[in-house]
Amino acid sequence: MSSKEQILSALRRHTRETYEMPDLTQLTPITYADPVAEFKQKTTTTAGARLIEMAPGDDLNALVRQAYPEVKVIASNLPGVEAQLNPDTVSEAQTLAQAEVGVVRGAIGVAENACIWVPQTMKERAICFASEQLVIVLSADCIVSNMHEAYACIAASADFFQTYKFGTFISGPSKTADIEGALVYGAQAARGVTVVLENNL
Amino acid sequence: MKIGLFVPCYVDALYPEVGVSTYRLLKSLALDVEYPERQTCCGQPMGNAGFERMAEPLAQKFDELFAPYDYVVAPSASCAAYVRCFHPNLMKGRSCDAAGKTVDIVEFLHDVLKVTSLKAKFPYKVSVHNSCHGVRELGLSSPSERNVPKFNKIIDLLRLVEGIEVVEPERPDECCGFGGMFAVEEQAVSRRMGIDKVKRHIATGAQYVTGPDSSCLMHMQGIAEKERLPISFIHVVQILAAGL
Amino acid sequence: MVERHDNTFFGVRQKRDRMAQALPEWEDLREAASQIKKHTITHLADYLEQFEQNATRNGVHVHWAIDAKEYNQIVFDILQAHGVKKVVKSKSMLTEECHLNKSLEKQGIEVVETDLGERILQMMHLAPSHIVMPALHVHREDIGETFRRLIPDFDDIAKGYSAIGGSPADPNDPTFLTYVARMHLRRQFMEAGAGMTGANFGIAETGDVVVCTNEGNADMSTSIPKLHIVSMGIEKLIPDYRAMGVFQRLLARNGTGQETTVYTSHFRGPRPGGEMHIVLVDNGRSSILSNQEHWQTLKCMRCGACMNTCPVYRRSAGYSYTYFIPGPIGINLGMLRNAMQYSDNVSACSLCCSCDNVCPVKVDLSTQVYRWRQQLDSLGKADPMKKVMSKGMSLLFNHPMLYSGVLRLSPVVNWLPGPVVACSLNPWAYGHQMMKFPDKSFHQLWKERLL
Repeated sequence: MSSKEQILSALRRHTRETYEMPDLTQLTPITYADPVAEFKQKTTTTAGARLIEMAPGDDLNALVRQAYPEVKVIASNLPGVEAQLNPDTVSEAQTLAQAEVGVVRGAIGVAENACIWVPQTMKERAICFASEQLVIVLSADCIVSNMHEAYACIAASADFFQTYKFGTFISGPSKTADIEGALVYGAQAARGVTVVLENNL
Repeated sequence: MKIGLFVPCYVDALYPEVGVSTYRLLKSLALDVEYPERQTCCGQPMGNAGFERMAEPLAQKFDELFAPYDYVVAPSASCAAYVRCFHPNLMKGRSCDAAGKTVDIVEFLHDVLKVTSLKAKFPYKVSVHNSCHGVRELGLSSPSERNVPKFNKIIDLLRLVEGIEVVEPERPDECCGFGGMFAVEEQAVSRRMGIDKVKRHIATGAQYVTGPDSSCLMHMQGIAEKERLPISFIHVVQILAAGL
Repeated sequence: MVERHDNTFFGVRQKRDRMAQALPEWEDLREAASQIKKHTITHLADYLEQFEQNATRNGVHVHWAIDAKEYNQIVFDILQAHGVKKVVKSKSMLTEECHLNKSLEKQGIEVVETDLGERILQMMHLAPSHIVMPALHVHREDIGETFRRLIPDFDDIAKGYSAIGGSPADPNDPTFLTYVARMHLRRQFMEAGAGMTGANFGIAETGDVVVCTNEGNADMSTSIPKLHIVSMGIEKLIPDYRAMGVFQRLLARNGTGQETTVYTSHFRGPRPGGEMHIVLVDNGRSSILSNQEHWQTLKCMRCGACMNTCPVYRRSAGYSYTYFIPGPIGINLGMLRNAMQYSDNVSACSLCCSCDNVCPVKVDLSTQVYRWRQQLDSLGKADPMKKVMSKGMSLLFNHPMLYSGVLRLSPVVNWLPGPVVACSLNPWAYGHQMMKFPDKSFHQLWKERLL
């Protein structure tokens, strides 16, 4: 018997009483009257990110340049962003560690915790983590109140994992408090995050 | 309503005044109270130490002894909790009637009698010791860990006492470190927990620490005396019965 | 040191409390999480099959390991087949349980822990003192000294730090040391041949493995090296994305008192040109399922909330437990791993039940400790003093006449000289002033109608 068969048969043999899945429709998770306002507030406070609002017609490229005036190496595959590195065409992921700023698009924003769902839409996802600073572009229309709503959106769409089999929720820059409990921004991944919020009103 | 008074072993031996206050308080409320003399212990010390089978005969005796009563009232949250939560399992197949009707004095006054006034006077500042088994097994107060409406039955009763000022320490329901045999088996940690708890009570400026469990009070008092920490200890029933 | 440890972890407990108070649905979430886990665990074989099917369809290689030995072998074989000499690794309790690092190192593969706390401990050859914040007990001066000694380009990194505007007055400032670690670990990520992660959750419906970190080290480890090996305990499965919503919302709130970890990453398949392996590990979990009293430990999501609230853990300064996982869950898991070896941890509990009230999946931790205590005597592991005391009490309490007799004599103790009473045979005397025995017990007062 293979290990798999042994494990499965042991599990079946050892199960006595079984339990049903609870009815999760009975759960009433927190929702916000104004999820966008809540998202903005959490983004700049608990998540520790910067927030720039973008009106329709604004130039993303100009906004990025304005936010990071000294920067020389930008990575992105977003149309309309002038980038020196393209995560679709770099020969190896390691190259993206040279990116001072990486610009990616987020698909869903979550008000309760300032998470942004960033599905992988580029060949090398290292852009999301190895870039010194990360810019996430998000439409304000895509902000939901809580994680249940976010996961419902993701589960409902076949698109997010179609091409690349990865997605991540990111809430602000990378952090640690491993040294004496002192909070430090910029652990292994992005040292800073800027959320560019597209307001389509 | 016939009440059987249960005075736990260590209260009997070391703090009989707690039993006396309980008896007097119940009598002052015009209740029919008896004390079946052949009682000794609920078995908790042995059970918590890992010798539950030694508690079995005690659970069975307890059930028989208190059969004639409608309520068994004890001035001890942890003993009442042990009877309610653990005795049913110790009956070797027989049903446990005592478990359903055994209550701590605080619960009895608050939930059964629903007292709205007391004759007691106690013009001192007291810091409430929310004993663990009282909070988390009997529900005498809302556990600080949970998101539930806040309540505290001990404080509700104390507020009926004239002249009293009631406060709670920081970390209001953190364990004092008694834990029965824990205090002798893990002496250093138990002592450390006790010192920390006594200091938090003292920090409230209270003159007395009060709670529903003499075991906690005994542990903290022993530590306070040894460390010369200035605060006194009194069981909550003694305050509620003050003057009787 | 004990005070610092106690305050640090109670602080995390308080953060958790604030999270709990902020969500009106908090208790419903806990109940839902508990029920979802009970359901999944009692249908685990079916869910594992579904998970494997989906993962395989996504291009993932799925392996099954009955025990730690098989697990270590599988991992080694994968690494060897790819000629890997260096592995970067994010935190995994499972790998510690199986002693993976030691096993790989013995066979010539370098393992680099990338979680900052774990990396510090690795460099200092220290064991973790907590499952989520493993190095909080280590002083910054010792970390600084270690980094200076073991990181070859420490000085260059320090110069780089000054160049970007950092110049701490304290040479061991945590922000500076974190930067040093960042630069040091960057090199490791670039050079490694494989990245290993654990799994906070596996989603049966889609074959996703979910890894939650604040540092992004799991993501760094798996977005640069092309080979990704996931190590997952079989009990980590949940059915679907609806369940995932419940657990994502509970994990960080309970573990660190944050609304979320910075990264919640869903790995569904290999990268272009890469390979992804999942090793499903049993190592005693299927046996635990048959244990009527203790199977609910399988619900545990390793959040650490129980140890943060445990008053005994918080006063232990980290290394008092003999099992690698401390606190309430550690006592129970240790006994399940090897009752004879880890029985001394069972005394590390005052049965205060605080842990039961914080556990996001409602594991009945304190009840399980109580039940383990009942087993100790038959294992030959009962503390002799407790046994003697229990027997003595049992004798007294079962014989009311004897009991009364002893009570009548007890005031004698009041008259014994202090040193006699406080001698080492009287364990109460440690830390406590001895009680005064009253002249008359309640029994006597009652008999003599003195009430």
